[in-house]
Amino acid sequence: MSLDVRVGIVLVSHSAALAEGATELASQVSGGTVAIIPAGGTDDGGLGTSAAKVQRAVKLADGGAGVVIIPDIGSAVLTVRALLAETGELPTPVEVADAPFVEGAVAATVTAAAGGDIGAVLAAAEEARHARKL
Amino acid sequence: MPASYEQAITLTGDLHARPAGALAVAAARFASAVSLTVGASSADAKSVLGVMGLGATRGQHVSVAAEGPDAQEAVAAIVAILAEATRVGA
Repeated sequence: MSLDVRVGIVLVSHSAALAEGATELASQVSGGTVAIIPAGGTDDGGLGTSAAKVQRAVKLADGGAGVVIIPDIGSAVLTVRALLAETGELPTPVEVADAPFVEGAVAATVTAAAGGDIGAVLAAAEEARHARKL
Repeated sequence: MPASYEQAITLTGDLHARPAGALAVAAARFASAVSLTVGASSADAKSVLGVMGLGATRGQHVSVAAEGPDAQEAVAAIVAILAEATRVGA
């Protein structure tokens, strides 16, 4: 399942700080070899999500193997879905993960670092919901 | 020919997040299934969340087991990562 080009990850959060923090953690755990881009907060820096930020992040994360988007809660999902519904806006295969934000980010990024394809990275993010902490 | 192979190591430091990630990335390179067992808990070595969830700490014995065509190489690689990562305490 190895690819020369790695799948990119975009973390969409209502909070810029949360998206950046989760990006930092996932990047460190995975060894820093994956393009993982935060898209947090509104265009004016408040709490919320921005389709423009998500679109820019997808372009930055895209290395040719596709991008997995991990939204945090509620309207982050709506923002991503609305963007995906606008055909032609995104130039690469994109999947949206139904996953816990932090665990999904870490699992997806490590799988991308290992050379997993977009399906494997999506599955890793979504399997994160079954990981037990205790 | 598929084979199974197993080796135990005693951790000289705690197994933190970054080495858990390095371990999962390394395990994914092998065709064999690779598992870690600490006490009564086991995890798929290719699952970073599973490895982190073991909460393996200094002094614990970790058994690394693999089954598949490259089982011996997989176990050697994972044991080496555990030895190095917990020595540095990364």
